[in-house]
Amino acid sequence: MKSGWWKALGVLLLLYVVIVGLRTPLAPALVHLSEDKLPPGRNEVVVAGYNTRFTADAPQAWLQNDAQFVCATAATAERDDRLRVVFDVPDGLRRDLSHLVVRSNGRTLVFHDAFWNPAKGAGIANAGCAPPVEDTAGPFEFPDRSVLYETIRNLFFHVPMWFTMMWLMTLSLLHSIRTLRNNDLEHDRAAVSAVSTGLLFAFLGLITGSLWARNTWGTWWTSDPQLNGAAAVTLIYLAYLVLRGSVNEFDKRSRLAAIYNIFAYALMIVFFLVLPRLTDSLHPGKGGNPAFSQYDLDHHLRTVFYPAVAGWVLVGTWLYTLRRRARRIEAWLDEEPSA
Amino acid sequence: MRNHLHKLATTAVAALLAVRTFASSAAPDWLEETFYRSGKINTVIAVVTVVLLGLAFWMFRSDRRLARLEKRMNERHKA
Amino acid sequence: MRPAEILHLLRLELRLDLHQRHAVGGSLLYVVSAVFVAYQAMQGRAEGTAWNALFWIILLFAAFNTLARSFQREDAGQHLYLYTLADPRNVILARVIYGAGTMLVLSLLSFGTYVLFLGHAPLNDANVGQYLLAVVAGGTGFAAVLTLVSAIASRAGNGVGLMAVLGFPIVLPLLLSAIKAGRLALIGMPWTVTGKYLLWLGLVDVIAVTLAWVLFPYLWRDR
Repeated sequence: MKSGWWKALGVLLLLYVVIVGLRTPLAPALVHLSEDKLPPGRNEVVVAGYNTRFTADAPQAWLQNDAQFVCATAATAERDDRLRVVFDVPDGLRRDLSHLVVRSNGRTLVFHDAFWNPAKGAGIANAGCAPPVEDTAGPFEFPDRSVLYETIRNLFFHVPMWFTMMWLMTLSLLHSIRTLRNNDLEHDRAAVSAVSTGLLFAFLGLITGSLWARNTWGTWWTSDPQLNGAAAVTLIYLAYLVLRGSVNEFDKRSRLAAIYNIFAYALMIVFFLVLPRLTDSLHPGKGGNPAFSQYDLDHHLRTVFYPAVAGWVLVGTWLYTLRRRARRIEAWLDEEPSA
Repeated sequence: MRNHLHKLATTAVAALLAVRTFASSAAPDWLEETFYRSGKINTVIAVVTVVLLGLAFWMFRSDRRLARLEKRMNERHKA
Repeated sequence: MRPAEILHLLRLELRLDLHQRHAVGGSLLYVVSAVFVAYQAMQGRAEGTAWNALFWIILLFAAFNTLARSFQREDAGQHLYLYTLADPRNVILARVIYGAGTMLVLSLLSFGTYVLFLGHAPLNDANVGQYLLAVVAGGTGFAAVLTLVSAIASRAGNGVGLMAVLGFPIVLPLLLSAIKAGRLALIGMPWTVTGKYLLWLGLVDVIAVTLAWVLFPYLWRDR
């Protein structure tokens, strides 16, 4: 058991990730508005909130337009997640788009670029009703991002799949290099075990990613460099297995597979790390998208995300060693026909 | 004939547009917003399920592999 | 690495090709008929993106067709001959260079026939220099990657089928960036934009050639 501590650690980490990652509530947010256009005059807007408690106190609401404010003449909480707001919109706001700000229970909730104001002008007299209030540090909760909502938790179950795959493929690369160096079949077995375990994680990554994409971006598959890269990597390693399957002499097989593996890995790295940075991607942090590391991956998410990566990598390594040990016994049984 | 086709095409386009506008207005009453209320949590459940099923699949295959090895070992033991 | 030996090997390749003229003719015919099929399929009308993608796909298949020969055609006697006389590193370098040269000829030829058949409308506001550079860089990359893959496939003793399985995914990054560079060149983007992709293509070429150079001796070691 002494040498198995890391396996237990992996499981414990994942246990922590499942519990904290699924139980932590999302921060309250404004998710839907009944109007998207506010012409001058009286306008009534119904605001849908998520995890909000509008009825718990008297919420204040205002429009923010280029440091100018328009206060709501009325804000009535109909339910905890529904607020009816009335604005008397003046003529001549400076910007086309205004933010909607709601202050409720000591939290400031912002819906960015919420409304389009058709009558733009030189500016209005400032009402001065809405002092920009700094939020006090909130409780432990995950941010509520538009489109993502609760699926932000998939961060702990989708993204680490790719990390684990990369880690296993890197292990396989190292073993392939050693196979070429000293022709040791043990390293060859390690390399193929790492690849097949890595492929498990690649498939999990593809399926979970596809599910997630369907429910946020609206399609099962988009022509996204990250996605295409993932598919290409999966194909490359499937080809690796096909190559192994088509050669029978294990000495030659180990060498050919190692060469292909090294070649494939170099081009895969290129594909995965560089290409997405050259083109726009729907994935965060690439192209024009805001990075998870900038504000999406806030420190609350981090405290679960890093353990999730570590946990999945450890469990993946565990699966790989199991496969490798089985292969070793298999090779031993093959070698000695009548021991 | 040509005129006829033209008419047909316009009707088809109009019908399509009607369907589209109808679809957007008939989208489940946002006030009910079951979608937002559940906050897409079902996606998370689906993802976690997929991951668990993947691991189970892996265990299953390893199990079969080991069973095969055990069988070979036993045969050799008898021989 | 001895340039004299590489030159000698290149001459050997050329002599082999001149011996097997039907194979060379086959490649040329392949390109022309592929372009003709594309022309028929597109009914002569192709706008920029499709024009570009189709061209690269024709080029890719031409590369597979041609480069598959580079190792499959050598028989045991030739292998032994080269094995005893030449340094494997020179062999692979010579073959990659020869492959790149063949690809250059083939791609320029296909470009010519392609423009002839499918028209030059998409080229009207294109930067042709950039486009040709992308064609050259992409062809060289195909040559470098597919020569090594061809060597692996022929060693595995499972000719063209295995080559396609091994080659397609591995050539994908190259193909995608080449298509992208080509598309940017077609729109007539300035060098600062397309240059990034061309540089990138060149980098992939360098990586592929270096890896082929490093790995080939291990492949060469025995039959």
